[in-house]
Amino acid sequence: MSLLSWRGWKASLVFVSVVLAACGGGNQSAAPLAGCNSGTTLATFWTSHTPPDSDSLKHIVDAFNKQSTATCVKMVQVPGSETDIAKLTTAVRSGTGPDVYMLDRFTVAERAAAGVLEDLSQYGAQDLASNYVDFAWAEATFKGKPYALPFDTDTRAMYYRKDLLQAAGITDLSALDPANGPPTIDTVRAMANKVNHKTGGAYDVVGFIPWINQGWHYTWGFVYGGSFFDKSGCKVTPNDPKIVQAYTDMFTNWSKSLGVDAVQTFISSYSPPNQPTQQDPFLTGHLGFVISGDWVLGQIATYTPNLKYGVTYIPVPKKGDQPATWAGGWSDVIPKNAKNAKGGYEFMKYIAGEPGQRVYTKETQHTPTIKSLQSDSSLFPGDHQFFIKQLSAAHSRPPLPVGAFYWDQLSTAQDAAVRNTAAPQAALDAAATATNAKLQPFCPLA
Amino acid sequence: MIAAPRLHLSKADRRNLRTAAPFILPWVIGFFAFTLYPIVYSLYLSFTSYSGFGNATPVGFANYQHLASDPLFFKSLWNTLYYTGLAVPIGLVVAIVLALAMNQKVREVAIYRAAIYLPSILPLFALTFIFIVLLNPRFGFVNYLLSLVGVPTINWLGDPKWTKFSVVLLAQLGAGGPALIFLAALRAVPGELYESASLDGAGALRRFRHITLPLITPVILYDLIYGTILGVQIFTPAFILVGGTSGGAAYTAGPDNSLLFYVFYLYKEAFQYSDMGIASAMAWILFLISVVLSVIIMRWSRFWVHYEVS
Repeated sequence: MSLLSWRGWKASLVFVSVVLAACGGGNQSAAPLAGCNSGTTLATFWTSHTPPDSDSLKHIVDAFNKQSTATCVKMVQVPGSETDIAKLTTAVRSGTGPDVYMLDRFTVAERAAAGVLEDLSQYGAQDLASNYVDFAWAEATFKGKPYALPFDTDTRAMYYRKDLLQAAGITDLSALDPANGPPTIDTVRAMANKVNHKTGGAYDVVGFIPWINQGWHYTWGFVYGGSFFDKSGCKVTPNDPKIVQAYTDMFTNWSKSLGVDAVQTFISSYSPPNQPTQQDPFLTGHLGFVISGDWVLGQIATYTPNLKYGVTYIPVPKKGDQPATWAGGWSDVIPKNAKNAKGGYEFMKYIAGEPGQRVYTKETQHTPTIKSLQSDSSLFPGDHQFFIKQLSAAHSRPPLPVGAFYWDQLSTAQDAAVRNTAAPQAALDAAATATNAKLQPFCPLA
Repeated sequence: MIAAPRLHLSKADRRNLRTAAPFILPWVIGFFAFTLYPIVYSLYLSFTSYSGFGNATPVGFANYQHLASDPLFFKSLWNTLYYTGLAVPIGLVVAIVLALAMNQKVREVAIYRAAIYLPSILPLFALTFIFIVLLNPRFGFVNYLLSLVGVPTINWLGDPKWTKFSVVLLAQLGAGGPALIFLAALRAVPGELYESASLDGAGALRRFRHITLPLITPVILYDLIYGTILGVQIFTPAFILVGGTSGGAAYTAGPDNSLLFYVFYLYKEAFQYSDMGIASAMAWILFLISVVLSVIIMRWSRFWVHYEVS
């Protein structure tokens, strides 16, 4: 006796064909897209970037497709963030991942250690090392092997609103002129306190909140001369006394002097979660000073072109201290199981090479990691020059296989310091213990 | 001992079964491949060190030991139980009140039902964004209303004391779903019971207390268990509220990690820190917690659930 009746088989055949017809036609087609040359092979490129940066990436993809005779790139915007690559890992694991992915460069070592990325040595990527600035190339490698090609970078500085300072009676702004070197934290504090303004008992203007925007743990840690990682000992050192001092001055004490609850209410009111850029409290006139990156120049040009602002060094603890900043940025990688890795690499060389980075720098005011472009002053009009000049002395985050975890631990300690719920020393000791426990299995890193 | 009854199928039954088999098969295969296998596999993974790629290395109970010494693990557990403890009873009351409102014999009831149910079918993403605006401490409508009765400014999403309660409030926008189930239960209460109670002089409150409530206890039990299981898995609102980026990089999960719910932390371990072993161990601990909570509720229900009247 047959297992199934003929009617049953017929029904299941119909069902299976319907399912196949419904599921088919996904990524199977190798036909090039509109704008690609005939005979090219499809390669997919995923990015979590959003406009306006993703618009610029699309322009680069279009330009690549126009000139390539071998590869046709399809750009797809996917959910994700600097440290969240859930979409990528699940797709790669199920064999539906992209050929190229835009990854935050400081997590390259972490993702390479996890086995998500292809070693690019097989494509000869190591030969490109000399094209890139050293720190960016170092971030793109893990255990001596290249896993990424560096894309853009950035540096941080302090923006200030001349109109708010002048309205507060501060007419002499010479201390903020970069020609006079970095201002001291005390100088900025004195100015900022004059800008503070309350209505109905709550702040509606605050002079300076050191931890808003790019005033991260890393920012102030570097400014105070702290070291976040001991390479020879293969351990993180967030409890370096200089970093503890930075937390104490810039988070704990600053928050206390403004009023812990009052400043948190101000942040929740004027800088709530997922706020659109155009409502940023600095752009809308509710913050006198802010630490941020060169990309803000593009935002000002787009949203508040008439803003009366200035840019100077991040303030330093003592007069005469060397200015400090740090550089981040993104990179392009080939995830494991890429179907058209060769085509993907051809595109990576383009987007992370001179042609791609030139377009991106012009359109978004980020900074290129290609040495030859950094010397092209035509790419950096106005205040962008100031950021470029800082790049040579900029710090960068240690490229660790637990970089995202370390970031979150530093952030948790920062949050505790800002809210005055834990002493910086204790909070940073806890961050060190937790991170080193995660790091140890990867040691030695060299 | 009672022997299992032998299944007697007629020729027609067997033919029908053969015809039905290919239709059922995709779901049977789906259950084994996509539900049972991952569950069993995650138990294995919880005893390994595994990034999601390459080989999983057995580590014994190391993942469980790590969690036992991780303060954030306990914080996420506390956050989740605190949220569930608030959200489930509040959600229950809100759903019953909504169901009672939808059960009124007024002409426009269809419009009210649609209006009450509408938030349940709106994407949680959109609701969360609306909530952020409503809860703004300085410009939000909620604080404005409270200020009219003299309540001082509350920093709903910026003060760790209020963040979880904010998510509980947000969850009430989805009360339309359970309310529909309660509405069905209310409709099943025999009208003659109310009539005879009224004749005996029982007021509305007394009728609700002694007729309605006992007769909908099976649905209350269902809602408690279902709500608890969903409550301990709370993820989406917190992820939307704080999982995004802040000035270019991820920040803590709410002030003082007060919105670091259990599944949110599990997600971070799996997809931000690439530690599937720890994430799997967390999933199994959560499963056991859900089982324990369900058993406690089931046992407790013996004292107050009435199945007798049909």
